[in-house]
Amino acid sequence: MKTTLFPVPYYQNLFTRVRVDAPTYPGVPLERERDTAERTGGIHVQALAWFGNAQIGPIYLGFLGVASLIFFVIGFTAIGWNMLVQVNYSPIEFVKQLFWLSVDPPSPKYGLRLPPMNEGGWWLFSGFFITVSILLWWARVYRRARALGLGTHIAWGFAAAIWLFLVLGFFRPVLMGSWSEAVPFGIFSHLDWTTAFSLRYGNLFYNPFHMLSIAFLYGSALLFAMHAATILAVGRYGGEREIEQIYDRGTASERAALFWRWTMGFNATMESIHRWAWWFAVLTCITGGIGILLTGTVVDNWYLWAVKHGVAPAYPEIWGPVPDPSVAK
Amino acid sequence: MAMLSFERKYRVRGGTLLGGDLFDFWVGPFYVGFFGITTVFFTFVGTALILYGAAIGGTWNLWQINIAPPDLKYGLGLAPLKEGGLWQIITVCAIGAFGSWALREVEISRKLGMGYHVPVAFSFAIFAYVTLVVIRPILLGAWGHGFPYGILSHLDWVSNVGYQYLHFHYNPAHMIAVSLFFTTALALAMHGGLILSSTNPAKGELVKTPEHEDSFFRDIIGYSVGTLGIHRLGLFLALSAVFFSAVCIVISGPFWTRGWPEWWGWWLRLPIWS
Amino acid sequence: MAYFRIALVAAAGVLASALLAGCERLPMDTSQIGFRGTGMEKVTNPRIQAANASRHEAPPALDPADSSGPKAAQVYQNVKVLGHLSVGEFTRTMIAMSNWVSPEQGCVYCHNPANFADDSMQTKVVSRRMLQMTQEINGNWKNHVADTGVTCYTCHRGKNVPEYKWYADPPAPTAGRMLGNDFGQNKAGKASVGNSSLPYDPFTPYLLGKDEIRVTATTALPVNAQVPLKQAEVTHGLMVHMSEGLGVGCVHCHNTRAFAEWSQSPPARVQAWHGIRMVRDLNNVFMVPLTPGQPKERLGRTGDIAKINCATCHQGANKPLNGAKMLTAHPELAKPPGATVRTSALQAGQSAPEARTQ
Repeated sequence: MKTTLFPVPYYQNLFTRVRVDAPTYPGVPLERERDTAERTGGIHVQALAWFGNAQIGPIYLGFLGVASLIFFVIGFTAIGWNMLVQVNYSPIEFVKQLFWLSVDPPSPKYGLRLPPMNEGGWWLFSGFFITVSILLWWARVYRRARALGLGTHIAWGFAAAIWLFLVLGFFRPVLMGSWSEAVPFGIFSHLDWTTAFSLRYGNLFYNPFHMLSIAFLYGSALLFAMHAATILAVGRYGGEREIEQIYDRGTASERAALFWRWTMGFNATMESIHRWAWWFAVLTCITGGIGILLTGTVVDNWYLWAVKHGVAPAYPEIWGPVPDPSVAK
Repeated sequence: MAMLSFERKYRVRGGTLLGGDLFDFWVGPFYVGFFGITTVFFTFVGTALILYGAAIGGTWNLWQINIAPPDLKYGLGLAPLKEGGLWQIITVCAIGAFGSWALREVEISRKLGMGYHVPVAFSFAIFAYVTLVVIRPILLGAWGHGFPYGILSHLDWVSNVGYQYLHFHYNPAHMIAVSLFFTTALALAMHGGLILSSTNPAKGELVKTPEHEDSFFRDIIGYSVGTLGIHRLGLFLALSAVFFSAVCIVISGPFWTRGWPEWWGWWLRLPIWS
Repeated sequence: MAYFRIALVAAAGVLASALLAGCERLPMDTSQIGFRGTGMEKVTNPRIQAANASRHEAPPALDPADSSGPKAAQVYQNVKVLGHLSVGEFTRTMIAMSNWVSPEQGCVYCHNPANFADDSMQTKVVSRRMLQMTQEINGNWKNHVADTGVTCYTCHRGKNVPEYKWYADPPAPTAGRMLGNDFGQNKAGKASVGNSSLPYDPFTPYLLGKDEIRVTATTALPVNAQVPLKQAEVTHGLMVHMSEGLGVGCVHCHNTRAFAEWSQSPPARVQAWHGIRMVRDLNNVFMVPLTPGQPKERLGRTGDIAKINCATCHQGANKPLNGAKMLTAHPELAKPPGATVRTSALQAGQSAPEARTQ
């Protein structure tokens, strides 16, 4: 019987060959009895065991979680219902046109006032409910960390993402004096918004915070590839037991560190790599939000801004001068 | 000697692919190896040519330096040095340097008794670069289709190549790649945050355990992939993002010439609802 | 285990085939537009070009006619536009027009066979105006059509009504309801904007109205009045139509790193600028005033007449008919004889349309 998917001479630490089936682990006990009782469910999906843990659940319900879910369902349903009406309640057309359907913010003429429901009011409604849902979820993430005695690093990372979300949908529209500036709820429509944003503001590639955000986004992919590959490569020494390796450095951490030191001349430690990781991912959202916020408020045309600051390259002219016909007279 | 406190016992002979003991030594913290020599060679030549290109390019402004590929009219031949030939040689040096770096990582992995995951992962990035400057230009019949080497100029290339397809966001492989990039950043923030939250817990608390980590993620989202699983997941997400990025550009031009929104017509024309 | 492996490979194969089924294949034709390395290039599929080639072929010109003898206005009655031609030339033009516009119906598409001079058929009234429009384009819009010019065939291509035209949209059925406003966009399958979810009528504001197309700020810092972001989507929609209509990408007219900068745009952008003004002019001065008297099948869902956009003439080629100069064989269409005829006063019961605006 073949035991490997692809012909390799030895185990590559990509798929678990001996998959454990164990009783459902109820989780670390929480301080209050009724908190532990908030945890519900718990099943095993053995297919997952090839890759990670097979156990799904128990999930902690809790007031914040349930409230968040209710707000989200209301906001999500409002969007879906509007889309359904757009296709005259036809479920087939709904599926067919789904990627094109959208709930859009109001027209510029309403400024920051409340528009009629069908003229952008539903966008405000859904946006409000989804925002409250997200903020409640943030509180849940924070609380669950505290309840387990953990640090709150994930909550603060989530906060960076919420910053970007709020910049796009709330802070910038308010500064610009118009809800119409915000992002619509729709698959293709939010991509149209992205292009329109770059067209309107003189090419977003020239926005330095956009450059930083992309550098951190690609850097996050780079770092996760580097870190994950390194841990998998030292799996035979227990590298994935990162907590223990942090407070009691073993040969896994040592080899991992030396790999990078010998490759590029410097290295992180088992703990500090996670700080690199967290900061790169979080700075993606922080700088991205700043870049969006500055657009239209402080800078109106990023290409011209770049020309002003000596950043834009010049290319040789290969056509004759092309005058603007509207001023050619 | 710049050695870490535990490093000496790991500096052993062996693991090389080529050259045996000849280059099996360290310079400061850097391992050399045969591929360290080739890396230095390609890097030196390539960097020197980049500096030369900047010198004849008319500006030393870091943001404006631009070394452009040849005109399309030169096809897949060698262009004159100052008309894109420089770009071509720099590209050869880059591929040589990246390949050497990857093979050096293999040697270091072997010496440290590690798996080859890191060089394999790096080769995905090299693949993406080679797709942009070799594979796609070959498919389109000219080296001039590669992107220019310049901080802002390469962004101008991205903009123009993208708008050839009217609305590049509708490219399905691009949509997949972007989603994978964002998910990678999300997962990285979560993983980094989780480890740090266990090892830097609330004031007065003891360092926590993987059971706490699993409990946290099961509490908030109902699933915890585990300590090994998160690294497999992270590697998969990051490498898939890079892979689909390469796919999204190689299909634009060689395998699709119309606007990308138009591609979605196949969905609207499915027999089940048309 | 073996089954899993087989299933995995099979699934990968099916997925790959499904995705690739929508694609084109090599080799492709490429051409360079801008400076090397800027990415301003054009990639076209020769197989698609070949499949569409017959669409862009100009028909052969009729043999030249005898220019001697009496003028058409002296021999025929009710000749208002081409009276200065000889009878031979006049007849030749009429034959060409029926070839270009009504090859199946022939002369009787416009003419009462019992009395060719009779104006009772709406098609004759329209085509007279169309003659004037053609002369107007060729005489006064050289900044767009140059010496190549247009003939009836450029738009009609052997059809009674040009294949590519546009009508105004009726208000969406959901307007005025509580839910489901599509905001004039977010609809699948709109060829007007290349199947994107951009606003699907960029024509009414820009090719009939005179709304400002430019959205980008002209200063780095915000000193001028702010153009709303949504406006950029309408402009993008028009630009997608222009690209699709001409079979080109954005870089045909723009260096996209700075769309607004004329100094970095290829010269084609100037022609496009004039083209937009030309289409506005033609729609307002010639097309819209022809609305009264049109049969129902010629009108859109809001009762408006068909109007011109870029695809009407270009039909997917960046020069209509690939630049074939049909006008050389028909100098009578080259410019208005005498003064520019801007009004449609020749049509009985018509009030004069708006004066020409730039």
